[in-house]
Amino acid sequence: MKQRRLWPAVVVTALAFVSACGGSSGSGSAKDGITVWVDAARLPAAQAYAKAHPDKKVHVVTFDGDGNGATTLQTKIQLWNRSGKGWPDVIFSEQANDPVWMAKAPFDFAAPLEKLIPENVRSQWPQTSTAQCTVGGKQVCLQDNLAQVVLWVNKKQMEAFGYTVPTTWQDWAALGEKVAKEHPGYIVGNIGDSFSHWIYLWGNQCPLQQLEGDKVKIDPTDDHCTRAAALFDPLIKNGTLPPLSVFTPDFAKKYGGAQDKVLLMPGPSWYAQAVFDQALHVPAGEMTAANPLQWGSESPVTTGQVGGGPWIISKHSKNSAAAADFVTWVTTVFNPTGKDARPGYPAYAPLAEKWLQALASNPYFAADPTPALKTAADQVWAGWNLVTYPDQPVWSDKVVTKMVAGDSLSSLLPTLGSALGDAAKAAGYSVVGN
Amino acid sequence: MRVARSRGLHGWRGFAFVVPYLIVLVAFGILPVLYAVKLAFTTDGGGWAGFRNFTHSAGDYRFMSALGHVLVFTSVWLSLLIVFVVTLALLLHGRASRSSAAYRFLYYIPGALAGAASVLVWLFMLDPSVSPGSFFVHHVLGAHLFVESIAPGKLPLIFAMIAFWTGAGGWVVVMYGALNTIPQELEDAARIDGAGPLTLALRIKLPLIRKWIAYMVILSFATGTQLFVEPQLVNQASLGMVPDTWSSNQLAYQLAFRYADFNSAAAISVDLLAIGLLGAVVIISRTGLFKVES
Repeated sequence: MKQRRLWPAVVVTALAFVSACGGSSGSGSAKDGITVWVDAARLPAAQAYAKAHPDKKVHVVTFDGDGNGATTLQTKIQLWNRSGKGWPDVIFSEQANDPVWMAKAPFDFAAPLEKLIPENVRSQWPQTSTAQCTVGGKQVCLQDNLAQVVLWVNKKQMEAFGYTVPTTWQDWAALGEKVAKEHPGYIVGNIGDSFSHWIYLWGNQCPLQQLEGDKVKIDPTDDHCTRAAALFDPLIKNGTLPPLSVFTPDFAKKYGGAQDKVLLMPGPSWYAQAVFDQALHVPAGEMTAANPLQWGSESPVTTGQVGGGPWIISKHSKNSAAAADFVTWVTTVFNPTGKDARPGYPAYAPLAEKWLQALASNPYFAADPTPALKTAADQVWAGWNLVTYPDQPVWSDKVVTKMVAGDSLSSLLPTLGSALGDAAKAAGYSVVGN
Repeated sequence: MRVARSRGLHGWRGFAFVVPYLIVLVAFGILPVLYAVKLAFTTDGGGWAGFRNFTHSAGDYRFMSALGHVLVFTSVWLSLLIVFVVTLALLLHGRASRSSAAYRFLYYIPGALAGAASVLVWLFMLDPSVSPGSFFVHHVLGAHLFVESIAPGKLPLIFAMIAFWTGAGGWVVVMYGALNTIPQELEDAARIDGAGPLTLALRIKLPLIRKWIAYMVILSFATGTQLFVEPQLVNQASLGMVPDTWSSNQLAYQLAFRYADFNSAAAISVDLLAIGLLGAVVIISRTGLFKVES
């Protein structure tokens, strides 16, 4: 009797609660427009599209970009898959390997682009870029920009010290030794970023993630890895190749701005703006780019890559034509000039030409960086494949933290290999050469 | 008859006050637990899996290291919590009420910040180049760079420090409240018998708030083993220098969302639940928390 009297109160409260929860309905894929998810750097592109197409409804959502091994997109896509609704039509990701898992079960998010974007448009991307976006024989993304590694040079400081720009890794290392003696405190690179192995080991053809069917080859004992590590170790020790990240306040304080202590730095194409100008505040009229470094006299010259974020269209889009139009526009048309210029080297070749022309006359540079960027665009080593698991946190955790504590890169290669092997196995790959 | 009826009415009124909490408890506490238990014992397709998810997740190459981290963290943090919270509460209770109120407020402030926000404050505190406590970071942690502050060996201590700073204030207030329930006559009697402040604190007050301490330990033990926010935020802020599977709860999160293996993730959650329950049972049976003195 007593219990029954209470029930109305419980039911009323519960109903109020449930209706409050149900009040907000997710937007997801609008029937008469598209929803696009972009990072902060791609927001201007999405806004420009909306402005140039006032007749189209574009709902722009900004998110963290899924960079640095985050699981934002994995989490969201699984939740959308579980609830059966809410998927955006287009996603931009900062994580170059995201399309690999997005195209596979259980995520099954990325739509093949063959029917959505014509072949004559897609063929304008460099072959290495298209290969990176091809999963299981189907192209599932378009790269926004290329992130080929070049050698960034502080022309002003190099000339002031009377140094010539090295063309081989060996010359670069010899210069590092010289700098340590003659100008201690100056640096010829840095190896403490979560992606430093993409710069220093990818470019030197160290097989740390080489796909052979469903197998991944991880072989840190390969000569390409050990000889590179042996070359870097003395520089890490003498302080000209510090194991610090360019994105930390420590780094900017020590080497950036008024200190201006970066002489050389192997790094991707987007470093000019994002690192030298915005993070380190290197003054205008100092930096330029040189060709990627060669290993001795070996050819062909190969280089690494860092980034090159992809655009992905959802399989679940109810408006895939509009989504494809959006992706085509932001990758092939969007090209503002001056201060608002795209930060990265456009992957779409005809747009890259225009972008390079504008860059050549950019007063920030001490000399035209475009020949080097152009050369490097075709030199990215194809033996490093993108995989579903994140390798960058493994590098940070197993190698960078130990190098900070004083260990040599050579001594850490076996640990790196076995940790990458564990990560690969956990993601369902079989591992060879480890 | 009349007495019984009025007691019943009181009971109902009390219950009505608890109802909103009960609804939330069921919706966000009990139902998810039941769902996790169901997931932990079933396969991806919904079939019976027995203990396979448990053996699979325990066989993961990160499981033991994560569990080890969590146990070290929990023991460091719990020791800090018990010693400092009880000491601070006893000290406060011995002071004049005005200054004691000011201190209570001071201790409580960090706890008033939402969990994640207070961890973010620590990201700045631990970076020697921006920290207002850079002297402390240099000399106690021996770090000149943020990467050195968060070197793997220091992490349990760092996380314990963050968790203590964010949570201890609230417990100091709770303990103070507990001390206030001690009848004044008891203290007066002890004083007449010649007890000084130290004897009073150790012989009279401490034994009387034993159950509150047990209560704090039970809740904190469960919170400690389920550590997530601190390592997760430091992982992101350090761009991966701290692994994203440092704690068991993070491993469960990664299994669920990176590998889409909700069943193994649920198994780890159930492991943690079992550890928390076991801890509670041991503490309750040792301290007689629920014993009603007749």
